[in-house]
Amino acid sequence: MTATAAALPHLSEDRHTTLWLNVAVLWHAGFALLLAASGIFLLVSLADSTIPIATGLRVFLIALSLLGGVSSACAAIFITRRDQRGRMLSLVINYLGFVVCLAFDLHILGVYVGLDVLAGTFKYGLPFLLLGFIGYLIGAWGDRHEDFPQRQQAYRRLSQTISLIAAGLWLLSVGLLEGLRALLQQFNSPLPFILTAGIAVFAVLLRAVGRRSVAEALHTKRQHEETLTGLLFLSPNLLGFLLFFAAPLLFSLLISFTNSDAFNPPDWVGLQNYQHLLNVTIQPLSSSTQLANEVLDVKIYNELARFEILGQSYVIGAQDKLFWLALRNTLVYCLMAVPVSVIPALLLATLLNSKLPGMKLFRAVYFLPSVAAIVGIALIWQWLYNSAIGYINYFISLTVNFANSLFNAGWVDPKLQWLSDSNSALIAIALMAVWATLGFNIVLFLSGLQSIPRDLYEAATVDGANPTQQFFAVTVPMLAPTTFFVLTTTTIQAMQLFEQVFILSNPLGGPNNSTLSLVVYLYQNGFQRFRQGYASATAWVLFIVIFGLTLFQYRRQRSSSGAYEG
Amino acid sequence: MKPKSYRRLRFIRATLIYAVLISVALFMLFPFIYMLTTSLKEPKDTFVYPPRLLPRQDVAASIEGQPDPLPLYEVQVDGQTRQYALVESNIRVGIYADPSKPAQTYERRLTDVSPTGGAENQQTVMVEGQAKKLWNVEVDGQIIPMTEVRQTAVGRFVDPQNPQAEVYRNVRLSQPVQNLTAHPENYQEVVELQNMDRSLTNTMLVTFLVVVGQLTTSILGGYAFARLKFPGRNALFVIYLGTIMIPFVVLITPLYQLMVAIGWVDRVASLIIPWMFTAYGTFLMRQAFITIPKEIEEAALIDGASRWQILLRIFVPATVPSLATLATFTFLYAWNSFFWPLVIINTGNEANHVLTLSLNVLRGRASDTPNLILAGAAISIIPPVLLYILAQRFFVESATSSGVKG
Amino acid sequence: MNRKSLWIILSALIMASLLLSACAPAAAPAPTQAPAQQPAEPTSAPEVKSTEAPAQPAGEVTLRWRTRPDNKEETGVYASVSDELAKRLGFGLKYEPGGSESSSYQDVLKTEIAAGTAPDVFWIPGTDVADFATRGLILNLGEMAAKTQDFDVNNFYAGPMYHLTYNPETDKTGADSGALWGLPRDVSTFALYLNLDLLNEAGAPDPRELAKEGKWDWGVFLAVAKQVRALGSDIYGYGANAWWGPYGVWLNAAGGGFFNEDRTACALNTPESLKGLEFEKSLYKAGEDVAVPYGEDSEPPFRAGKVAMFQNGRWATPGTRQVDFNWDVVELPNGPSGTPGNWLFWGAYAVNPKTPHPEEAWKLVQALTEAETQGKIAALGANIPSRVSQEALDTFLTLTPPTNNQAFLNGIDPKSQPTAEGPLWAGSWPEYDAIMGPAVQAVITGDKSLEEFAKTICDEANKVFK
Repeated sequence: MTATAAALPHLSEDRHTTLWLNVAVLWHAGFALLLAASGIFLLVSLADSTIPIATGLRVFLIALSLLGGVSSACAAIFITRRDQRGRMLSLVINYLGFVVCLAFDLHILGVYVGLDVLAGTFKYGLPFLLLGFIGYLIGAWGDRHEDFPQRQQAYRRLSQTISLIAAGLWLLSVGLLEGLRALLQQFNSPLPFILTAGIAVFAVLLRAVGRRSVAEALHTKRQHEETLTGLLFLSPNLLGFLLFFAAPLLFSLLISFTNSDAFNPPDWVGLQNYQHLLNVTIQPLSSSTQLANEVLDVKIYNELARFEILGQSYVIGAQDKLFWLALRNTLVYCLMAVPVSVIPALLLATLLNSKLPGMKLFRAVYFLPSVAAIVGIALIWQWLYNSAIGYINYFISLTVNFANSLFNAGWVDPKLQWLSDSNSALIAIALMAVWATLGFNIVLFLSGLQSIPRDLYEAATVDGANPTQQFFAVTVPMLAPTTFFVLTTTTIQAMQLFEQVFILSNPLGGPNNSTLSLVVYLYQNGFQRFRQGYASATAWVLFIVIFGLTLFQYRRQRSSSGAYEG
Repeated sequence: MKPKSYRRLRFIRATLIYAVLISVALFMLFPFIYMLTTSLKEPKDTFVYPPRLLPRQDVAASIEGQPDPLPLYEVQVDGQTRQYALVESNIRVGIYADPSKPAQTYERRLTDVSPTGGAENQQTVMVEGQAKKLWNVEVDGQIIPMTEVRQTAVGRFVDPQNPQAEVYRNVRLSQPVQNLTAHPENYQEVVELQNMDRSLTNTMLVTFLVVVGQLTTSILGGYAFARLKFPGRNALFVIYLGTIMIPFVVLITPLYQLMVAIGWVDRVASLIIPWMFTAYGTFLMRQAFITIPKEIEEAALIDGASRWQILLRIFVPATVPSLATLATFTFLYAWNSFFWPLVIINTGNEANHVLTLSLNVLRGRASDTPNLILAGAAISIIPPVLLYILAQRFFVESATSSGVKG
Repeated sequence: MNRKSLWIILSALIMASLLLSACAPAAAPAPTQAPAQQPAEPTSAPEVKSTEAPAQPAGEVTLRWRTRPDNKEETGVYASVSDELAKRLGFGLKYEPGGSESSSYQDVLKTEIAAGTAPDVFWIPGTDVADFATRGLILNLGEMAAKTQDFDVNNFYAGPMYHLTYNPETDKTGADSGALWGLPRDVSTFALYLNLDLLNEAGAPDPRELAKEGKWDWGVFLAVAKQVRALGSDIYGYGANAWWGPYGVWLNAAGGGFFNEDRTACALNTPESLKGLEFEKSLYKAGEDVAVPYGEDSEPPFRAGKVAMFQNGRWATPGTRQVDFNWDVVELPNGPSGTPGNWLFWGAYAVNPKTPHPEEAWKLVQALTEAETQGKIAALGANIPSRVSQEALDTFLTLTPPTNNQAFLNGIDPKSQPTAEGPLWAGSWPEYDAIMGPAVQAVITGDKSLEEFAKTICDEANKVFK
C-alpha cells in the first residue's frame, strides 16, 4: 500500500475543526508548561530530603515530566503547522494521560484494593450467573430451529430476557449499590476530583483530536491511522506488560547486583552474588578417603563432590554448596521426570490413536490429573507414599507376597521410605509429576498423530514397511514439532519444581537436601532468609540454564527434522 | 482359514491394547478414588493397616451384664470363625511350661499362678545352665511347678449370644468386625476449620477475572501484532517472544517489592491484575490471527467495517480453538497457582486466601486428621474436574490445538 | 439487537459491576488493613465491620494478634480469650490463627512485617527470637517493662527468660539488661508416649515403674524397645520425628549439646555429643533397628498402634487422646550424664515494631501470659503454663489423660536440667539447623561415618557464626 494511494481526500477545514485544533494547541502548550514546571520543581527539590520519595523514583519522575513536557510542546507546534505528527503525538499523550489518571484515580478511590470485598460478595451472584448461563443455553437451543425462524426468534427473545434479568440481579447481588455509594463517599478530598477532572479533560481532547475532520485537516494518511489503531489495540497489553513484566524484569537484574534484604536500603555489590553462587574449586587428593578439609580452604569452600581420573582423586569444593546441590537435583529431576512423562505418553498416544471404541473415554480419564491443583495432588500422594500405612507400600508388599507364594522366591518386603529416604525422595516426587503430566502430554501427542496425513502411512505400507518401521520412519519424524513442544514445556516446567517439594518434603528440601530444587533454594534465600539480591541472582542463573536447555532442544529438533527432510 | 486367524489376531491385539489402557486408567484414577473415600472416613479409620479403600466403622454388640455395647471381633473358636465381643483387654498373662516337657505350654493369668515355695524363697530350676524361677500352675486340677517362658497380654472375648462362652486371644492380631459407613460431615468440618468456602469463591473470582483479562488483552495485542502495521512492531514482537521463556521466579522478588510499594500486599488485586497480561497469550493469538486470509479483512474494510467490528465479527469467531487453548491454560494456571499467593497473601487473613493457600495451612493444622486434609483437597479438585467433565471437549481440544501450534 | 452485541453489552456490564462493587471496602476498613492505615472513618459501612471484627468499640484502638495454634480446638479458645481480654483491656482485639510449622509460619510473618501488614502482637518460636530481634522485626519491651510496676521477669521459667532478656549490645541478660523481646506463651517438653497394650503384649516391664524406681536409663530403654520390636516386623519399640528436638535430647543427655557454653561455636564434635549421636544411631536401622525409620513421621504408626514409645512434646496429647489403645506417658530415660537431657520448649509473644500502639500491645502481651489465660489454654492439653507457680502446676496435673502428667513436670524440673531451646545471637539458627540436620541424618542412616562427621561438621557449621 503506497502512501500516495492511501492519502485521504483533502477537504478544506471548517470552523468547527479550526476551533478544536486551536483548543488542542492551547491545551498542549499549557500542559507542556505544567509538566515542565513540575519537572523543575522536582529537580529543585532533589536536594530536599524531607519529601518521602526515593531518589531513583524522583529522577524517573523528573525525566518523565520533562519528556512529557517536550513532547507536548512538540505536539502544539506540529498542530499549528498542520503536521500529522502533531495529531499522533497529541493522541498518544492524551491517551497516556487518560490511562494514568484513570489508573491513579481508581487507586485513590480504593477500587483495586476493593476487589477484596467483591471476593466476599461474589458468591451471592453465583446463582444469577447460572441463570444467565441457562439463558444462553435457551438461546443456543433456539439456534437449532433454523428451519422455523419464528420459533427461533421466540427462543432468542426469551434468552435475551432471561440473560438481561440475570445480569441485573447479578449486579445487585454482588453489591453494585453499595459499591456506588462507597465510591461516591470517597470524593472527600481534592485529589479524586482533580484526577476525575483530568480524566474528563484527556477524554475530551482525545475525542476532539481523534475526529475525522481533524485528521483530514492535519493530512493524516491511512498508514498513520493504522499506526494509531495498532498502538491502541496493543496498549492494554503493552502497558501491563511494561508495568508488571518488563519493569520488574529489569529491576530483578538490578537487584541481583545488590544485597537487598527487603528491610534495609540495598547496597550495590556488583557481581559478588554471582561470584558467591558459582565459585568452585577442584583440588587433588592424596587418597580417595582423604578428608576434604585438609586440602580445601574451609573458610570459603565446602566439599561438594569427589571424583577420580586416572587413579588420581579430586575433590570439588563450592562456596555455595547448596546451590550446586539444588542445580544437580533439579537436573536429575528433569532427567527422571521428562523422559518418563514423554516416552510413555507417545506410546499411549499411539495406542489411543487406534480405531477401537472407547478411546475418547480413556483420553478423558488420562487428562484428569492435569486439571487438578498440584497442591491438592501432592496432599493425596503424601498419604499414598506414607511408609507405614500408605497404599503404595501396601501394593508393593502384596506383590512381594504374591511373588513369594508363587515362586517361593523369598523376597523381602522393602518397606520403602519414599519421602524420608534421601535416595528415593526425588524419585517419589518425579513419579508423582509423571502421573500429573502424562495425560496432558498424551493429548498433545494424540493431536500431533491425528494431523499426520494418512497417505504417508499408505506409501510406507506400499514400500513394505512393517508397523514398527512405520513408527520410526513416519510417525517419529512427522511428530518432531509436537515432540519439541512437549519436551520444551515439560522441561521448563520441571526446571521450576517447587510446589511438590514444598508440600511433600520435610524439612523443606529434605531429607538431607535431596529434594532441594533451584526454585526451593531461591524461595529459602529470598523469603526465608531475605537475601533477595542473592535470590534474584539465583533466578537469573536458573533462567540461563532453562534458556540453554531450550536452545539445545531446538537445535536438536532442527537438525533431526532437517535430516528427515534431506 | 485366513480371515479367521486374522480376526483372532485382531482380537488379541485389541485385548492387549485394552489391558494396557485400562491398567493405565486405573493408575490415573486411583489417587482420586483414594481421596474421595478417605475424605469420608473417620480419623481412626485412616490410620489402619492394611489400608482399605472404603470408610468403615466398628460394629458393637450389647452383652448381657455390660453397660455399654462392646466391639465385635472375628475370632477362631474350635476351628470356626465366630463374632465375639471384646469384654476385657490388656489382661497380663504368662506362658508357662513344665521344664521336663518344654514343648507343651500353658497360658495363665499372672494372678492365677503363685511362686513355688512361697514368695520369700521361690524355688528355681536349672534350664540350659540358667536358674529359672518356678511357678505353681494349675492344669486340669493338678498343680504343676513350671517355668515362665514369656509374658504377654490378651483380651477376653465372649459370644454375645452366650456370655458364658469365652476365649482369650491377642487383640492386636484379631480382626474387628466392621461395616461400611460414610462421614460427609468431614466436608462441613473442613469448611468451618479453614474457611474453604471463602477460598473457593476467591479462587473462582481470581480465575474468572484472570481468564477474562488475559483473553481480552491477548486478543487485542495479538490482532495488533498480526494485522496492524506500525513502526517497531517486529522488534516489539521479538521482545515479547523472548520473554516467554523467562521463568516466573525471576520476577518474584521485584514484583513483591512493587506490590509492597503500591500497597497491594495481602490484596486479591495482587493475584489478579498483574496476571492479566501475557506474552504467551499474545503470541498464541497472533499466530492464530495470522492464518486468516487478508482478503476477508480487506473486503470488510471496504464495506466500511471498523477494526473493532472486524476483530469481533471475523477474527474472534474464526479462532475459537486458540481462544479455548488460551482460556484453558490460563484457567489451570490461575486455579492452581501457589507460589505467588504464598508470598503475597497474609496467612492470618483467611478472607483473602485462595484454595491452594488454604490447603497449605490446612495440611499443618489438620496433620493428624488425613480425612480432613483430603476433604480439603477434594474441595479444591472437584470443581475443576466437574468443569472438565462438562466441557471435556473444550479442554482436550484446546490442548490439542496448542500442540499443533507449537 | 443481535445476540452477539447483547453478549458484548452483558460482559461489559459485568466488568463494570465488578469494578463498582469493588469500591465498597474503600470506605469500610478491610479486616486486613494495617492499623497505621486505619484512621477513624465515619463513613465506614457498619455491616462489614460487625461481621468481621467483633468486640471492637468503634473508632478506638484495635490490635491484631496472632499465634500458631497447636490444634483446631485451640483456635476457638484463643478467639474467645481474645474477646474476653478485649472487654477487660478496653481496646479492640482481633485474633487471627497463624499457619502451622509446615506452612512456614515464621517466614510468612517476616514477609508480612516487611510489607507492613503483620499483626501488632504475634507469637514466635524461641529459636527465632534472635533473628527477629537483630533484623529489627520485634520491639524491645525493656523500657516499658521497667516502668510497669507489678511486672517481674522471675515469674516465668528462667530458661526462656534468659534468652528473652538477652541484650546483644551489652551482652547482658536478666531483669536489668535493658532488653525484653517478649514473654513466653507457654512451655513444653518431651515425654515418651507409651502404648501400654504393646508393652504388655511384649511382656516388657512398665517404664513408669522403672522410672519411679530410678532404673530408667538408656540401657533399660533399649532393652524394652527391643522386646517390643520382637513382636513383628511392623511393630516398633521407639519412634520420633526427624528434627533437632529429638536428636538433640540424646546429645544433651550424654553431656554434649549443639553449642559451646556461650553459644558462639559448634560443639557437635565433642566426645559427649558424639556419644549421644552414637546411641541414637544404634536405635535405627544401622544399629539395633528398634525405631520407626529415621525421617518417617512416627505419628501415623503410633496412632495405628504400632509404636510402643513415641517421643513427642505435650502438643501431641490432644491427638493421642483419640486413640483406642491404653496409653500413658513417661519421662525420657536418663543418659550417661545422669539426666534425661530434655528440652524446655517455648515460644514468645512479641510486639511488631511498626505498631502504632506499643503501650496497648505491651498490655496485651502481659494479659496473654497471665496465669488465668494460660490455664485456659493448658486445659486443652497441648501445652504447659510458662509461669512458675505451684498453683499452675497443680492444675496442670489434673488435666488427664495421660494419668502420669508428672512426667512432663519432671521433664521441665530444674533437677533434671532441661536445656532451654534458644535463639542464636552470634549467628543464624536456621542456617545452623540447615547444616546440622542433614549431617545428623546422614550419620543415622549410615551414609556418613561418625568419624567423618566428627572431623568435618564444625568446619561447616562454624561458618554461620559471625
